[in-house]
Amino acid sequence: MVIKVENLVKRYGDLVALDHLSLSVKEGEIFGLLGPNGSGKTTAINSILSLLQYDHGSIEIFGKPMTPEAYGIKRDIGVVMQNVAVYNELTVYDNIDYFCGLYVEGKEKRKKLVQEAIEFTGLQDFIGFYPKKLSGGLLRRLNIACGIAHKPKLIFLDEPTVAIDPQSRNKILEGIVELNRQGATIVYTSHYMEEVEQICTRIMILDKGRAIAQGTKDQLKDMITLGEKITVETSGITPEHIERLKRIPNVLSVEYNGVLVISSGKGQNNLEYVLEFFKKEGLEYGKIYSELPTLNDVFLEITGKELRD
Amino acid sequence: MFSHIFKYRMKCLLRDKETVFWTLAFPIVLALFFNLALSGINDQETFRAIDVAVVNDEEYQKDEIFQSVLQEVSTGESPLFNLHVVIKEQAEKMLEDNEVAGYLMAGSPVTLSIKQSGLNQSIIRSFTDYYVQNMATVASIVQKDLGALDSLVNDIENQVTYIKEVSATSAEPNNILSYFYSLIAMACFYGGLQGSRDVSDIQANNTDTAARLNLAPVHKMKTFLTYMSASLLIHYGKMLILLLFLRFVIRVDFGNKLGFVMLTTFVGSIVGLSFGSFVSALLKKSEGAKVAVLIGVSMFLSFLSGMMYQGMKYIIQEKAPLLSYLNPLNLLTDAYYSLYYYDTYSRYVENMLYLAVFIPVFCIGTYLIVRRRKYANL
Repeated sequence: MVIKVENLVKRYGDLVALDHLSLSVKEGEIFGLLGPNGSGKTTAINSILSLLQYDHGSIEIFGKPMTPEAYGIKRDIGVVMQNVAVYNELTVYDNIDYFCGLYVEGKEKRKKLVQEAIEFTGLQDFIGFYPKKLSGGLLRRLNIACGIAHKPKLIFLDEPTVAIDPQSRNKILEGIVELNRQGATIVYTSHYMEEVEQICTRIMILDKGRAIAQGTKDQLKDMITLGEKITVETSGITPEHIERLKRIPNVLSVEYNGVLVISSGKGQNNLEYVLEFFKKEGLEYGKIYSELPTLNDVFLEITGKELRD
Repeated sequence: MFSHIFKYRMKCLLRDKETVFWTLAFPIVLALFFNLALSGINDQETFRAIDVAVVNDEEYQKDEIFQSVLQEVSTGESPLFNLHVVIKEQAEKMLEDNEVAGYLMAGSPVTLSIKQSGLNQSIIRSFTDYYVQNMATVASIVQKDLGALDSLVNDIENQVTYIKEVSATSAEPNNILSYFYSLIAMACFYGGLQGSRDVSDIQANNTDTAARLNLAPVHKMKTFLTYMSASLLIHYGKMLILLLFLRFVIRVDFGNKLGFVMLTTFVGSIVGLSFGSFVSALLKKSEGAKVAVLIGVSMFLSFLSGMMYQGMKYIIQEKAPLLSYLNPLNLLTDAYYSLYYYDTYSRYVENMLYLAVFIPVFCIGTYLIVRRRKYANL
């Protein structure tokens, strides 16, 4: 086990930021911590990294207790923080070299690692730039380069794609998968369920400091009753139509608000039935599509609120 | 590891424009301003002959000794009086129009008329008293022994002083220098801005880069000491540039103990840096607020040490002497002036010893605050 956290409790006055949080991360995983803003993801990361005092619990990394002085453990950890943490007075190259040098001794070895980090993050054309001259996406990439240049075995990425363009986001996500392929264990926090779903092998969903569910994305989706969601852009739907749609086998709910949404349970897909219904009733429609449940649906069903709230 | 952190810290500090402005550019601009504003002060303090009138009446004409004495003190290279021999009405008018500080009338005794009291009037009064006293002595002795007249005149002409005046200095008093010395002391304390940044950059709850540093496998205090070493080197370098500028461009006189001046500046730089780091560790405020506090406090202490008004230094010494020992800027200013003015080192050493006390106080205070390894919140 690379990370083992048991019963972690962190309070800010009366607010319980982490409520008996337990988690474990195996070697080679991309472990996702998913939750809305304020759910305790960053607090959990900072506590695991021994930056933050916590009230109760135990934390082990690489099988040893994690403390601020555990320099042997820290040497194998890379952290990409939520906020860009670089020096404005240093160039892109110098920033990466500086942070890499805190972990790696030997100029030649460091030079090679820095060069690899620059290539990995695609910053070759910007090595002489100062951070203030970089776009948001490039800054995020620099932030990542500073965190991973020393080739750590365990990498924490705390919302690394906040407020950046889709192109940079894709590049970063591809990079994270590549780091994992190269052997790094990843802990990835985000409130973007699509990202977590895209790259994580195992996911923990947090809400108000508590782990409300964890498993692979399929295991999480299996936890809920929803199996399919059919959306139809149509007009002229009457309450009578809705009642009849509800009588289709396995349908859980039918909602109409300009757009018709039919939710079905697991075990039977209803797209065929719905199309037949529209044909039979002579109803016209624009787009019609079927979706499998998302992590947002998991979150919605468990907590009664949207993940994006 | 030390050299790696040290090298990059130097780069960061040298490119920190705000700190470079406050620690180097600002004192230089202020020095130029001082030079323009204060260049005439020493000239104004040169003694000028006092305008005095003497009434040219019958008594005056008869009193040849009085005439001769007045003539004596009103001529030569540095005359005491600028004498106006006029009739009484004119003397009164000159006094009324402030053309003379007072007027004298011969007679027994000689009388002095003044309109107001002041330094010039006191000098004329002292002269008059001295003259009247001597004349009375002569009259008294001659009355008793006419034969003693010759030796008496000889004694008056060759007065012997039985107290030997030994000067503690070979330097000339110079009021302007204190302003510049206060300025150097203030610049030393502006090094506190670098000390403040050093603390902010290792406290994970202050900056994101500090949080990243706290995650690295390097002891926090080791990083901090490396940062402080880089800051000291850079700040002392800036202070030497300031000293060179003052010495060779503004032509400030530092006396002939330049080695001690440099040592004082080095100690001042350490006190300034440690002061800044202590304030920064103590204040849970934004970086901007810390800068404002440091500059404000340094300015205020400079004011108390006489940078804006020289008399303030003496007011503090008279009314609240303890404060002058508790103000490190005052101790620094005084140390520089002691080096310039006194031939001995006792006052300088005293100032430096008091100053040195501040270093462990600020350093230990900073250590106690920043030593924590985990944070309650970030």
